Amino acid sequence: MGFKHIGKDVQYRPDVLERVTGEAIFIDDIKLPGMLYAQILRPKYAHAKILSIDTVEAEKMPGVYKVITGKGWEKHYGDCIKDMMPMVVDKVRHIGDALAAVVADTEKHARDALKKIRVEYEPFPVCTDAMEAIKENAYLIHENSDEYFHVSPLYEPIPKTNIAVHYRIKKGDAVKGFKEADVVVEREFNFPLMSSAAIEVHGAIALFRMDDTIEIWTSNVGAFAVREEVANLFDLPISDVRVHMPYIGGCFGYKSDPSLGPLIAYIASFVPGHPIKLRVSRQEDFTSTFLGRGIRTKMKIGAKKDGTFTAMEAKLYLSTGAYADTGSNVLIVATQSAGGVYEFSNADVTGYSVYTNTPPVGALRAYGHPEIQFALERLVDIVARELDMSPTDVRKKNFLSVGKSNVVGETMKKSDGDLYKCIDNVERAIFSKERPEEDENYYYGRGIAGLIKSPKAPTFAAKGCHIKFNVDGSVSVNMSGADVGQGLFVLVRQITAEALKMPLEKVRVYNEIDTQFSPWEWQTVGSMFTFQGGNAIIKAANKAIEMLKKNAALVLHRDVNVLEYDGNYVYDRSYPDVKVLVSRICRGYIMKDGTTIGDVVQVSSDFRLPGAQNPDPETGMGRTGVSYTMGVQGCELRIEKKTGKVIIDNFATSIDIGRVINPSNARGQVVGGVVMSIGETLMEEIKFDKNGKLINANLLQYKLPTIYDMPGKQTIEFVETHDEIGPFGARGIGEHPMVGVAPAILNAIYDAIGYDFYEIPVTPDKIKAVIGGDTEAR
Amino acid sequence: MKNITLMLNGKKETIYFEEGDTLLYVLRDRIGLMGTKFGCGYGACGACTVVINGEAVRSCKVLFKTLEGADILTIEGLTEGKKLHPIQQAFVDANAVQCGFCTPGIVMELYALFSKEPDASDDRIKEVLSKHLCRCTGYESIFTAAKLVQKTESYSKQDKKDFERAAKLAREYIKE
Ligand code: FES
Ligand code: FES
Repeated sequence: MGFKHIGKDVQYRPDVLERVTGEAIFIDDIKLPGMLYAQILRPKYAHAKILSIDTVEAEKMPGVYKVITGKGWEKHYGDCIKDMMPMVVDKVRHIGDALAAVVADTEKHARDALKKIRVEYEPFPVCTDAMEAIKENAYLIHENSDEYFHVSPLYEPIPKTNIAVHYRIKKGDAVKGFKEADVVVEREFNFPLMSSAAIEVHGAIALFRMDDTIEIWTSNVGAFAVREEVANLFDLPISDVRVHMPYIGGCFGYKSDPSLGPLIAYIASFVPGHPIKLRVSRQEDFTSTFLGRGIRTKMKIGAKKDGTFTAMEAKLYLSTGAYADTGSNVLIVATQSAGGVYEFSNADVTGYSVYTNTPPVGALRAYGHPEIQFALERLVDIVARELDMSPTDVRKKNFLSVGKSNVVGETMKKSDGDLYKCIDNVERAIFSKERPEEDENYYYGRGIAGLIKSPKAPTFAAKGCHIKFNVDGSVSVNMSGADVGQGLFVLVRQITAEALKMPLEKVRVYNEIDTQFSPWEWQTVGSMFTFQGGNAIIKAANKAIEMLKKNAALVLHRDVNVLEYDGNYVYDRSYPDVKVLVSRICRGYIMKDGTTIGDVVQVSSDFRLPGAQNPDPETGMGRTGVSYTMGVQGCELRIEKKTGKVIIDNFATSIDIGRVINPSNARGQVVGGVVMSIGETLMEEIKFDKNGKLINANLLQYKLPTIYDMPGKQTIEFVETHDEIGPFGARGIGEHPMVGVAPAILNAIYDAIGYDFYEIPVTPDKIKAVIGGDTEAR
Repeated sequence: MKNITLMLNGKKETIYFEEGDTLLYVLRDRIGLMGTKFGCGYGACGACTVVINGEAVRSCKVLFKTLEGADILTIEGLTEGKKLHPIQQAFVDANAVQCGFCTPGIVMELYALFSKEPDASDDRIKEVLSKHLCRCTGYESIFTAAKLVQKTESYSKQDKKDFERAAKLAREYIKE
């Protein structure tokens, strides 16, 4: 297929000039007339009953308009589990909860007044780990979790325990499968809590108007989700809430946190007529928005002598945090992904989402997938060792491919990807030369891991697209996908231009999302935009072309079926001279006497994952993924003997993404994702003290990777097995590069020093403890 | 409120502020220059970097009251009309901008570096970039952009002279 714009490096993203000059408007750049500032009081304890909150002194402070608490509020909110409130009422459950707020003329005045609020607490025992919170005698974090609204039985808790959600997948007969195995290996793994930590912190502004409508500006990537949540909270028609989404300074999942919208709206409801702005501090960005990951896994694999896997059993424990609405989805996704890129005819996987006294867990780039595939891909290496097979051979023996079925029982299609091509690419990049022998300064190692990901979202999640033809034949496209830096706007431009056979310059893409004008979409998460958004564009473009042809038929006196469209003209296929300019018919056609015929060409469309279903309540299986993307990652690394530092010389990624729409941006996603994941593998971890305080909630102690942590080189090869449904055969790539990094590195570390790590981050200290013979830090 | 006079993006300005204001706060909240970004407030991320008297500085760590007579350049001062500064152009060409939140700070950092050391070594470039956090790009494209700047003839020779001339003029202007 010859494309004009697809697969080409269109580096000039429509938004790049604004971003590179500092002109782009992010949430904190918005100032509105009459705007006031809110600051939030966070509790002293991570788990306590609130006995009293005294705000009298705070109210007298300079500049203060209002001091607000949750007192008297009754309504809970949440998408799948309604266990949250805009502000806490009688109990705090984690150190970042919203206890009280001050609204003042400046941020500083609001902060000063916070210090005058007096709170009396009755502290309760604190529990920050699922393994503790799940114990029978554990202190309950939500006493009556069964009384909350749950969207379906899948989200029901076990009453009088801290278990918010439990989900089991049973495929085949695992007991029998293990009996057939020649080798059975079992290990425990830990993927700790971490933060998306975008460089832009969260922020929001809310305005309660006199007519009871609410207007919100937010850094949240789900403008429509915020709108629904806030409307429900205040019993308003959804149409009375209007949400704006400006430019977003990086998302990585946590900017889908639903809590800031309800919080700022609640605060603003006490000060109608004033826009109220809340920009959280970097510390609050850690303590009071989503964290990610936090899953412990116990996994067991059985295999025959020839390497064929016979069964897999896994138990997953998510420390879901103080509220389980979003974390429970992370847990469900992780459970569904337990089989990774391999076929297991027999599997028994159970996941528990457990309330803990930490900030709630939510989406973090590829959520659910890296956690479990970290365990799986490490264990597969250990199985290979037991069988005396090479790690690549065991993998090839069990890879999913056309006709095989994954853990939830979905049969793989050709377009889900070609793992054999991917592993070939990675083998060529990483394993084609001999591994260097240990020398005076370094140990050398190489490792590999498979990866699989599907978009995970409610079955109804869709993307919308509005296309409007202008009278000069240019088009305006409105959608609601957030460009958080991944290059979404240029992708919209490329796909629209391709579908409408136009030059890129004639396509103008939106750069602000406004629920009053933008078409509905669920949220920009799950690497779904290319697939769903791209298809929504093509559907809209086709509708527009149909309309143009109908208009042309009236003008040219031809049957619609004989007409063709080429971007400039609609013409008769057999007599190309019989034609009319698109610009003459896109607002209808004006005849000599002024009479106008035909329709104005502005169209609307949408696209969702076709046929996605909820899992079967009995077996936990079903069409829950629908569209898969698979790949392989691997690396060559060195470990410095003196320091224990891991130096990655080459990191290879090969993923089958159907079709590459924009090579430079696709590479950018992988390069950035791999480095982000190197961060979680080697340095990042949210740490708590025994009272549930985050002890490293700042960018000095919570180390993000710097330029010194980037691999010596990244080898990236995309495989392009045409996707029958994807737009021009394409699927997304935003999150996938995160999935195989940690196991590939830890497998390589084993290769280098012969030591198995089961937990990340693997810091230099931990390695030194191993190679230096000191066992303490293990 | 107090005031001081300084050079801001090539213009002499008298600016009002309050005692504890940081430069970042004055830029963003008092005079509305929003291109300089807040990422942490304590010198860890580099998003707030501006150039003061030729040096790249974290504006969140500088008290405004110390800046009497200083020559300050922010991202807004880099473009001339519609013409991107060569460093910005290199970022566009290398596709080194993803969300763009770290970009103004990094561009200013490189501006200060290349003004003094147009031929800075790779190690030196990495050293200054290591003071900046970017969560999106994985740094590869940013490093490429920096190298691209060095290859841009117009930048390495002429711009350095421009910068020195401007800085000298500024100092004289403020003295008088
Ligand atoms: S905001 Fe100044 S260094 Fe982060
Ligand atoms: S481009 Fe997003 S933080 Fe650097």
